[in-house]
Amino acid sequence: MSEPQSSLLLKKQLAELNKNPVEGFSAGLIDDNDIYRWEVLIIGPPDTLYEGGFFKAHLHFPKEYPLRPPRMKFVTEIWHPNIEKNGDVCISILHEPGDDKWGYEKASERWLPVHTVETILISVISMLADPNDESPANVDAAKEWRERYSDFKKKVARCVRKSQEDCF
Amino acid sequence: MAEGQEEPKKITITVKTPKEKQQVEIEEDADIKKLKDVLSPKFNAEPEQLCLIFAGKIMNDSDTLKQHNIKDGLTIHLVIKTPPRPEPEGGTRRPPADISATPFGLNSLGGLAGLESLGLGQSTFMDLQARMQQELLSNPDMLRQVLDNPLVQQMMNDPENMRSLITSNPQMQDLMARNPEISHMLNNPELLRQTMELARNPAMLQELMRSHDRALSNLESIPGGYNALQRMYRDIQEPMLNVASSMAGNPFSGLVDNSDGTNPQQGAENRQPLPNPWQRGGGGGGTGTGTGTGGTGPGLINTPGMQSLLQQMSENPRLVQSMLSAPYTNNMLQALAADPDMASQLINQNPMFANNPQLQEQIRTMMPQMLAQLQNPEMQQMMSNPQALNALLQIQQGIEQLRTAAPSLVNNLGLGVAAAGAQPAATPAAGTPAAPANSATPAAPNNAPPRQQQNTELFTQFMQRMMSAMSNNQNNSNQPPEQRYSQQLEQLAAMGFLNREANLQALIATFGDINAAVERLLALGQLSMS
Repeated sequence: MSEPQSSLLLKKQLAELNKNPVEGFSAGLIDDNDIYRWEVLIIGPPDTLYEGGFFKAHLHFPKEYPLRPPRMKFVTEIWHPNIEKNGDVCISILHEPGDDKWGYEKASERWLPVHTVETILISVISMLADPNDESPANVDAAKEWRERYSDFKKKVARCVRKSQEDCF
Repeated sequence: MAEGQEEPKKITITVKTPKEKQQVEIEEDADIKKLKDVLSPKFNAEPEQLCLIFAGKIMNDSDTLKQHNIKDGLTIHLVIKTPPRPEPEGGTRRPPADISATPFGLNSLGGLAGLESLGLGQSTFMDLQARMQQELLSNPDMLRQVLDNPLVQQMMNDPENMRSLITSNPQMQDLMARNPEISHMLNNPELLRQTMELARNPAMLQELMRSHDRALSNLESIPGGYNALQRMYRDIQEPMLNVASSMAGNPFSGLVDNSDGTNPQQGAENRQPLPNPWQRGGGGGGTGTGTGTGGTGPGLINTPGMQSLLQQMSENPRLVQSMLSAPYTNNMLQALAADPDMASQLINQNPMFANNPQLQEQIRTMMPQMLAQLQNPEMQQMMSNPQALNALLQIQQGIEQLRTAAPSLVNNLGLGVAAAGAQPAATPAAGTPAAPANSATPAAPNNAPPRQQQNTELFTQFMQRMMSAMSNNQNNSNQPPEQRYSQQLEQLAAMGFLNREANLQALIATFGDINAAVERLLALGQLSMS
């Protein structure tokens, strides 16, 4: 029992993702010696405003994974109602398990030990395509998304362009 | 493949774009620039347009493969940029509707995928299934026959069953992951039935296509309807119609191969040294295709696809073992053993034996013995021994040769083998009853229609009995599923699956197999998340 379950689980996922990567993102480690800190590159989903962009994000897993969720933070600047301006991703499945004290989310919508890097990223990618403006993390972006959509579009397009420049 | 031991070692890597996947071979110490040069003709793009991503990083031209730890067998992402913006990769915005990914699993008949939930989801089995699908697809007439089979129809009329079949198809899962709406559609049994109906009935298909345009324009006028429609069309309708119309296109194209009435079918039983795996599928999904393969025996068994399938089975003892150890197989054999009358009747009706009363008689007397033998653990062990299976295969091949060389000898000889070995005879009992059921088998035209009718009924009855026996067995003492699976339910809850209702459904569908249930839940769970 030298290695905790969390690290075994993550290693398995990493190996699997390297061998059979999933559509839409690519995942690796920030530092090859630290299995708890991941780096992912999300390829802007087609047919969305984010198409063509390359968004880098970091995932920090707690030692208690999979009982507790990782934190996810975009490193690339991104304008989205559910992503804070500092890059933190606000999505229900990454919230600590149990019932929401504010009664917004059901336990089943929150973190579950069955989630993997893959399922998290699929959720995030679908969130990019379809923002949830009911619980915005970036209130300005949410307001813009709702009221001044053309401005919102412009800002996102700028992010996309910037993300491409950063990468190449 | 890889590793030509010359100077620089070569590795094979897979390069994946949103729409295609290619393998390339390259020296393991090459740099990214070189890789791009290799890839550019393959993907029809300038090297500058290529963007390679691995392990969360975009790789620069000056980097080397080693630097990124890219080893043999790994897969990297490729994004092709179109230089003068926007619209990166024009046509690839959405993976093109692919016929092989047909919703409703028409081409796979949903069929064998169902076996996955029975615990047979090994990769080899998937391969096997793919071959069978191909076989079926290349013969539309046969496909329709399969669909017309009362047994298959009965299965299709059970929406829950159908749904579990469909959702266990990996292609379908993929599609559902992309389009949550489809899973809603699957909850509509009426729709499913219609789709199947459609596949069977070319006239109806044509009618539908005709009214299609009208319906579309009606829908367009609903607010937001147009967008939904567009998506639906691309993702569902197109591939479906493609398949359906290709099926309706030339129903007789496959007939040529099959209509060879003089086909030396007598020996076919010897080609299946194992208890028929599809038979057991009757409990879950397999029967759809199963009946088809058994049913069109004369044509199908002699096709290369079928042969290689059998070969594969004999090369994979594990698969066979898992089949044999499954409770369904035993159930089936018991059902046969407990009802020798039934079994002998089946044999009686089989066209293969009908012409040969002598053979018939012998088989009948051997029946109980043979069945007992099949349940014998030693026998089962033998079945899972690759050497023994190989030997069997060789015997078959020998007989085959003999038949071509000296046809008149075969009847007697074939009998001798059956009597001595008793093992290949397993198949006439377990496997071929399907044959008479499929009433319109092209290769058995001399059977009188009323008799075929009788056969069909007989077989259906038998299957029904078997299924109910199986479910009774599963039910133990008719406990409600909550009690029966209470332990598994607890386990699932502990794993974090909180939706008790869904858990229970999954357990019922997987006959209490917790691993399969988890897989099923995960497949569905991904949908609810998005």
